[in-house]
Amino acid sequence: MKILVGYKRVVDYNVRIQVKPDGSGVVTEGVKLSANPFDDIALEEALRLREKGIASEVVVATIAPADAQAHLRNGLAMGANRAIHVVTGDAVQPLTAARVFLKLIEKEQPQIVILGKQAIDDDCNQTGQMLAALWDRPQATFASKVEVSGNAAKVTREVDAGLETIEVDLPAVITTDLRLNEPRFIKLPDIMKAKSKPLETLQLADLGVASGDTLKTTNYAPPAKRSKGVMVKDAAELVAALKTKGLL
Amino acid sequence: MTGNASSAEASATVGALDELRRAQPNLRLLTAAADLEHYGRDWTRRWTPAPLAIALPATIAEVQAIARWANVQGIAIVPSGGRTGLSGGAVAASGELVVSFERMNRVLDFNPVDRTLTVQPGIALEAVHKAAAEYGLIYPVDFAARGSCSIGGNISTNAGGIRVIRYGNTREWIAGLKLVTANGDLLELNRGLIKNSSGYDLRQLVIGAEGTLGLVVEATLRLTDPPPASQVMLFAVPEMSALMRVFAACRKRLNLSAFEFFTDRALHHVLAHGAQKPFDEISPYYVVTEFDAADEAQQQAALEVFEQCLNDGFVNDGVLSQSDAQAAALWRLREGITESLAPYKPYKNDISVRISAVPDFLDEMSSLLTREYPQFDVVWFGHIGDGNLHINVLKPAELADADFVAQCERVTKLLSEVLARHGGSISAEHGIGLVKKPYLAGTRSPAEIELMRGVRRVFDPHGLMNPGKLFD
Repeated sequence: MKILVGYKRVVDYNVRIQVKPDGSGVVTEGVKLSANPFDDIALEEALRLREKGIASEVVVATIAPADAQAHLRNGLAMGANRAIHVVTGDAVQPLTAARVFLKLIEKEQPQIVILGKQAIDDDCNQTGQMLAALWDRPQATFASKVEVSGNAAKVTREVDAGLETIEVDLPAVITTDLRLNEPRFIKLPDIMKAKSKPLETLQLADLGVASGDTLKTTNYAPPAKRSKGVMVKDAAELVAALKTKGLL
Repeated sequence: MTGNASSAEASATVGALDELRRAQPNLRLLTAAADLEHYGRDWTRRWTPAPLAIALPATIAEVQAIARWANVQGIAIVPSGGRTGLSGGAVAASGELVVSFERMNRVLDFNPVDRTLTVQPGIALEAVHKAAAEYGLIYPVDFAARGSCSIGGNISTNAGGIRVIRYGNTREWIAGLKLVTANGDLLELNRGLIKNSSGYDLRQLVIGAEGTLGLVVEATLRLTDPPPASQVMLFAVPEMSALMRVFAACRKRLNLSAFEFFTDRALHHVLAHGAQKPFDEISPYYVVTEFDAADEAQQQAALEVFEQCLNDGFVNDGVLSQSDAQAAALWRLREGITESLAPYKPYKNDISVRISAVPDFLDEMSSLLTREYPQFDVVWFGHIGDGNLHINVLKPAELADADFVAQCERVTKLLSEVLARHGGSISAEHGIGLVKKPYLAGTRSPAEIELMRGVRRVFDPHGLMNPGKLFD
């Protein structure tokens, strides 16, 4: 069984996001870029399925600018067998990403596609669902537990009301939630081995994918700054202040 | 107070406290039993707290009034910050007045031209980090207790921590201090000057004095630019003799900001405490190192260092952080050690030697500890890149506290002799306090200690500033 994993590069979770002064986007130059945390979880799950003998091959794929090769090498170092780099200079929106992954599915014929439930840069949470629809296969989103047996996967999902367990026929799309697993550390010997693992490069323009980018962002702005607190002398002054603000 | 204190003496000190209340009606004073216990001790648990009362001043003027009152009444003062100390420096066990700086915990000023931050002594180290970040700068002294330890305590112990190899100790970052002396005078030491060749630098004397020369009531801290992006590597190291070889290899190629080690026993306790396991196979030693990795050349250099160490047999395996979250997870393996050991009431050694003396010293000490502590769980970790080792001996559950301490003190005596031979120090960064007092003579010569006594007498003629700490 082959598993295809989406592996997006985003601004590191711990970096304090700064908006460009002209409002055209967020600052990414000189900022730490890492794998989307949900995609790390997706890759970890795929590797565990391979280690259990259920999968035989794990392929990581990203849609990113040409300088994202090092990012894919990290995915290979973590344990993926192969990587596919779909090169584009532009950020793509979920529908375009889903169409690209459909192309990759046609090419690779995976039994399971595991994606992060969302990427922490735009937080769209759409690509997995769109891909399942385009592919016309089942989807199991927000997975916190995945058990594969035969031609089906039993997936425990994190939903508003608690946990929901569903069974989907394979092939299927699974998207990961935070509690699914804890991704492993990348070993230095594996980083060296990853240098010789196959990394295929495709140009997005050559894939014949119609762009689904229909949204245009006109402006980025940081959230309003919290104003400084004021010190009150005593409880009476506090009550008075709360009353003038209409909070009491 | 000692057991034979007469009731007349007791009522005299109560009268003294009333006197303070009358003179300073706004001063917050605590005398409830729970407060006396809470504020009367640090992280050591060997002494029973028994202070007279707890004062929580809000201003320098109140601190001065307290000092004058104590001077007149002959009552001893113990300064108190976050009380995360490990040497008993903040313990009040014999009728002292604890002066807690808990309410003096604010940032007073930021000067963008001088790049300094002026703070009150009770501010937590982490709050200083955050305040510096607001201005796009850093205060680089850092260690695991950051959330609760205070700058006043950092100054009084000349705290070091995890980035000493790049940034040095607290001492390097104090541009100025305000000190209230035993007679209530307020001194402004160095006033933020970078260059000042005008005699004795009393500021530096106060740093590391463990509160024996007066009360630090304000500090002006130097700030600096944030470092470039970094990565963290963890190495599995097969033998002790390889540790310093790995250090040499890393230092040659990488711009290091930290180089720490710990033993498998330490890892065992941190993992039991819930950390993520880094390797499938066990190795006797581990190294955590942090280095600048802003560009691909630096990242490539790190891989080459690893490859070289692997080929030379100095490391078995290694992992590299791929995100800041993973860097934090790797750091947790080192920084979580102290907390994971706390339930075992560890006896702590905090020792240092010159970096060049580390290999021979490690050899000698390891055979000493194996010989003397065959039955105890001994956990090693520390800032090996700056020659500082923390050796924690865990108390077996069945052994009484006093017996355990007695056995450890006997071994520390031997350890102190080894240290003296290698020119090391019995306290690298925790301070002498009460715990290490018996071994000071192994680190400082009789003439040196006599001069220190003289300095203390000049600052504090009646011996009221944190008496019993550092030396008697």
